[in-house]
Amino acid sequence: MKKALKWILWIILGLGLLLIPKIFGIYYTNFFVAFAIMAVFSQSINIELGYTRILNFGHAMFFGMGGYGAAQALALIPGMPILGAVLCGFLGGGLLALILAPLVVRVSGMACAMLHVAFNALFFMLSMKLRPLTGGEDGISGFPIPPFNIPGILSIDMVNPLNFYYFALVILGLSMWIMWYLTKTPFGQIMIAIRDNPKRVNYLGFKVPESKALVYIVGGAFAGVSGSIYALFQNLFSSDATSGLNSFQPVLMTMVGGIGTFIGPIIGSAFFSVVEELARHFTDRVELVMGLTLIIVILFAPMGFMGLYRNLKARWGKTPSLPKI
Amino acid sequence: MDPTTAMYVSQGIHGLAYGMVLFLVASGVSLIIGMMHIFNMAHAGFFMLSAYFTYQAIAWTGNFWLALLLAPIATGICGMLMERFLLRPLRGAGVIGDLILTVGVGLCIDALVKIIWGTANKPLDIPPVLQGMVNIVGLDYPSYRLFIIGMALLVLLIMALLLYKTRIGKIVRAAVSDNDMVNALGINIPLLFTFVFGVGIWLAGVAGAAIAPILSVFPGLALQMGMDAFIVVAVAGFGSLKGAFLVSILFGLMNSYGVQFISQLAPLSMFIFMAIAMIFFPHGFFGESEEE
Amino acid sequence: MNILETKGLFHDYSGLEVLFDVNLQIEKGERHAIIGPNGAGKTTLFNTITGSCCPSRGKVFFKGKEITGYPPYKLTRLGMGRSFQLTSTFDRLVTFQNVRLAVLSKRGIRFNLFKKVDKMTDVNLETLEVIKRINLDQEALVPSSLLSYGKHRSLEISMALATNPDLILLDEPTAGMSRDETHTAVEMIKRLTEGKTVVVIEHDMDVVFSLADRITVLHYGKILATGTPDEIRNNQAVKDAYLGDSESGGITTRHT
Repeated sequence: MKKALKWILWIILGLGLLLIPKIFGIYYTNFFVAFAIMAVFSQSINIELGYTRILNFGHAMFFGMGGYGAAQALALIPGMPILGAVLCGFLGGGLLALILAPLVVRVSGMACAMLHVAFNALFFMLSMKLRPLTGGEDGISGFPIPPFNIPGILSIDMVNPLNFYYFALVILGLSMWIMWYLTKTPFGQIMIAIRDNPKRVNYLGFKVPESKALVYIVGGAFAGVSGSIYALFQNLFSSDATSGLNSFQPVLMTMVGGIGTFIGPIIGSAFFSVVEELARHFTDRVELVMGLTLIIVILFAPMGFMGLYRNLKARWGKTPSLPKI
Repeated sequence: MDPTTAMYVSQGIHGLAYGMVLFLVASGVSLIIGMMHIFNMAHAGFFMLSAYFTYQAIAWTGNFWLALLLAPIATGICGMLMERFLLRPLRGAGVIGDLILTVGVGLCIDALVKIIWGTANKPLDIPPVLQGMVNIVGLDYPSYRLFIIGMALLVLLIMALLLYKTRIGKIVRAAVSDNDMVNALGINIPLLFTFVFGVGIWLAGVAGAAIAPILSVFPGLALQMGMDAFIVVAVAGFGSLKGAFLVSILFGLMNSYGVQFISQLAPLSMFIFMAIAMIFFPHGFFGESEEE
Repeated sequence: MNILETKGLFHDYSGLEVLFDVNLQIEKGERHAIIGPNGAGKTTLFNTITGSCCPSRGKVFFKGKEITGYPPYKLTRLGMGRSFQLTSTFDRLVTFQNVRLAVLSKRGIRFNLFKKVDKMTDVNLETLEVIKRINLDQEALVPSSLLSYGKHRSLEISMALATNPDLILLDEPTAGMSRDETHTAVEMIKRLTEGKTVVVIEHDMDVVFSLADRITVLHYGKILATGTPDEIRNNQAVKDAYLGDSESGGITTRHT
């Protein structure tokens, strides 16, 4: 019975997502794509920061690797399929994480956070100065957006925003699902255990540095995916997207939604997208609205919206249940 | 004297002056980290705020010296209010919570500054007494730079006396090395925190007021100084004032000579230096690794 | 055969000798207590054996194999389990999940990324079994940080046991427990460690004498005596050492 209800809800959600362009029109469809990119980006930081407590405050680097990877792949390699570009983004983010991982797993706490801010700053400077590679502040733009092609079967034009919406939805949804599944595996339990007590994890017979490295690489790779979709969506990727501010944004969204919960970053991204949109409509002080929102949320709901929800649930006397055996 | 030497000396003085200002900001950051374990992302925002206060005070009173005295104090009071009403209720929320809050405050300062003073540059004049050059043993020195160096040294001296000669300084130093111990001694830690935070912000305020006439006052000031101060603290290590001093001076000099020789790559070289330093010393040159 | 052996173990913390030529032999299947006044180096001995820190000199053998300086996760996989003096569990995971991690480790499920842990029926069944054995089935869904002190300690001990080690090192398993809780815990330890080798650090002499087959007395980082409880009780050197500083937690039997 409960399972049937769950399926019905999923189907409603799926239909809702399919119908968004019909109901809201193309402006809000694009708004939704931007939100979905942010949600995946935030989620990829959440599995590092919220689940495993790797204090990564330089996540825009991986986003940037994904964006530049996809944009350059399309700009340089003729006939690059669109999925190939996304794969380049995935590999770009993952590769950078792989390179940094040996260093990152050695340090902990504030030193790790500072290290990331430092590397992010360097990455940002490089993406501004290495113009031949990154296009600097103007970025890489105007690269071809290839159609989604299955040879002999179909070819879908991806310049059409409607088609691109469905494409982005599938890729981002899939990324989200993979990260969700990861948190449900035994490895997901080890991630949370590392957050709570790395010493004990070691004494239980698990390798802490290697586990952290794996989470770091997965997080980096999916940040890369979100970066590549962003590049395709805008048909532009510039150094702006790799700045330290863009590293903080997903962290803030995750915090506001509820860090360490899977749904948190999604809620946070939605909340911020809406607040930003409203602020843009009604004032020209977006910065002030964002700053005040942050202060208010952190003061009154330090564990974010999900923390509030959990407190309410506890007050209503709902308890979690054991897995079905 | 030949012009090349004169240029080198002049660049050296510029670098030293900037290094000193950098140190005033970084020492505040370092003090707050050492004492409260909070990395204050809004620190450079206060630095900028003080520069604007200085501008405003001069606009009202026309007296540079009064502005130099009052602007940092006003900034320090703002800092204390932030600690008392925003940071204190959040104690225990952890590194991430503190970061979010201070980022939020930084954004608000940025926005408020733009609302109140607009986005245009606000040029300030160097007071007439300190304009031009002073000639010491045959070399010309820009006198306002010398004044900045002298003032920073004076502030440093006062801070050193405060830290090493007074009771409160002893408590602060003890709290930096062992928070729990001081707590157990029955000292009002929250009040001490507010005080130390205020002093840290005041230091940034002094820097902001001092540098306002050299750099013109504009909303991007915080970002520029924030990044440099961050590099200093990251490379020097948390809570190390000695380290912050040495690295600030080094960076000030690197900055001014760097502009001379490799103008295009000067900012990049500092970041590369920092990245390499942090690979080999993840806790900074003078910092100690924190216990898990 | 000795399951655990240390040969000439030294350890110093920046010049301060904490362990001094410790030669410990633990026979397979015995319950061995290590006692000694505070600061005798008991926990440090555990730390050097289980890989928290390296000894400055000397060697450690486990099942005849040299393991000096092995990291903890390797030792756990070789069959060594350890509990901590300060309770060390995963605060935000519930009891069930805490124990399940130990069960996963025992079964060698580490980097499994393809199956949901809630769907691993045999793992979950075994976890429930362990929880029942330690009488925590009522608290299976309570986050471990919210457990009562005694229950939290039981969880701590059971996590060391759930990896099914051959050798178990317990660091003051009954520290801070009430008399009743202590009694229950000792019974539980006896029950759960049937047929296994146990090394236990303990201050409570009631526990020591009711649990241990053999006792080693550590004093200022040196082994003062090793023997059966009776031998230790009548050992002159031990008496002197404890009488010399009886105020710092010597051989005292708890009176009620």
